[in-house]
Amino acid sequence: MTTKRLSIQRYLPEQSKTPFWQEFEVPFDDSTSILEALNHIKEDMDGSLSYRWSCRMAICGSCGVMVNGEPKLGCKSFLREYPGTISIEPLAHFPVQKDLIIDMEIFLEHLAAVQPYLINDSQDSNQTHKQTPAQLAKYLTFSDCINCGLCYSACPQFGLNPEFLGPAALTLAHRYNLDSRDQGKAQRMVQLNREEGVWTCTFVGYCSEVCPKSVDPAAAVNQGKVESAKDLLINLFKR
Amino acid sequence: MAKHVGYFPELKRNWWLKNRYFTLYMVREATVLPLVFFIACLLAGLYSLLQGQQSFQGWLQFMQNPITIVINLLALVASLFHAATFFTLFPRVMPLRVGGKAIPAKWIILGQWFGVLLVMVLFAWVFGRGV
Ligand code: SF4
Ligand code: FES
Repeated sequence: MTTKRLSIQRYLPEQSKTPFWQEFEVPFDDSTSILEALNHIKEDMDGSLSYRWSCRMAICGSCGVMVNGEPKLGCKSFLREYPGTISIEPLAHFPVQKDLIIDMEIFLEHLAAVQPYLINDSQDSNQTHKQTPAQLAKYLTFSDCINCGLCYSACPQFGLNPEFLGPAALTLAHRYNLDSRDQGKAQRMVQLNREEGVWTCTFVGYCSEVCPKSVDPAAAVNQGKVESAKDLLINLFKR
Repeated sequence: MAKHVGYFPELKRNWWLKNRYFTLYMVREATVLPLVFFIACLLAGLYSLLQGQQSFQGWLQFMQNPITIVINLLALVASLFHAATFFTLFPRVMPLRVGGKAIPAKWIILGQWFGVLLVMVLFAWVFGRGV
């Protein structure tokens, strides 16, 4: 059976303050994913290796790691795609808790900050809200996000300033702003208009490149800039 | 959960050299540098025009200097490159719809290049007539 070398960045806070690299030689075939290789290591070689995963099918968004320096879902990347030794690190731009496990707290805070749910206080808000296919099409791709955080590891602006709301949160804000059933745009614009809102983005565009669900967060954030500019202008004349 | 943060790898100054995508982004941003030179040239030209004939002749000579020409050619290439990146990004930022149907991005990009061509032809015509 053919094998491949995986070089994994380990971090065991109870043993050492600094991370170190450890190599493993794992058997693989055409269908072996990075996640399966990690599982193999944990089961047969070193039970102390820690990482997150759940669904194995690119739905839960928990298995994100850096593969050869690129943010990837472990279950959606395969060993056959990489010639030579494969390096695996925890997702970039986040604090590391142990091995490949990052602290996602700040990401979750940013998601919550944009109020990512339908806001509708109208009289008939307990009725079924009808939506035409055309109205649905306006935000559909932006609603495919699985909160994996890969786009945050792809964003140098987030790396430089973790207070930046970031691609996924701004995309979610835009997704609800575009929803015909929603009335919460005015509340969300306050977040978008901030310096750490849409205006920190410089359209590097790598977030859309790495997104495993083709959400195109870069497009959403920059559409958000157009909305924010309109909003600021309107407010200027209202006063 | 207790906020125990292991370690936080900081972004190094050379972060943009580590990834081809980031390097290309920096090149896009750097296209502004030769453009600044080009605009400085234009402003200097206007200024020397106001200063009189002698000063304007000096400016003309400066513009014919091979180094000036090379930098300005670089500015042209840089702005075309920047335009190309901008044009491809535009349909994603401003998706246009006609009668509820999205216009394909390809058309919007082509439309923008057509606009550039139109402006060039117009300029060639306006300035070409005087000669
Ligand atoms: S936008 Fe894409 S990359 Fe970002 S969190 Fe959502 S699914 Fe992941
Ligand atoms: S394990 Fe759920 S997305 Fe990979």
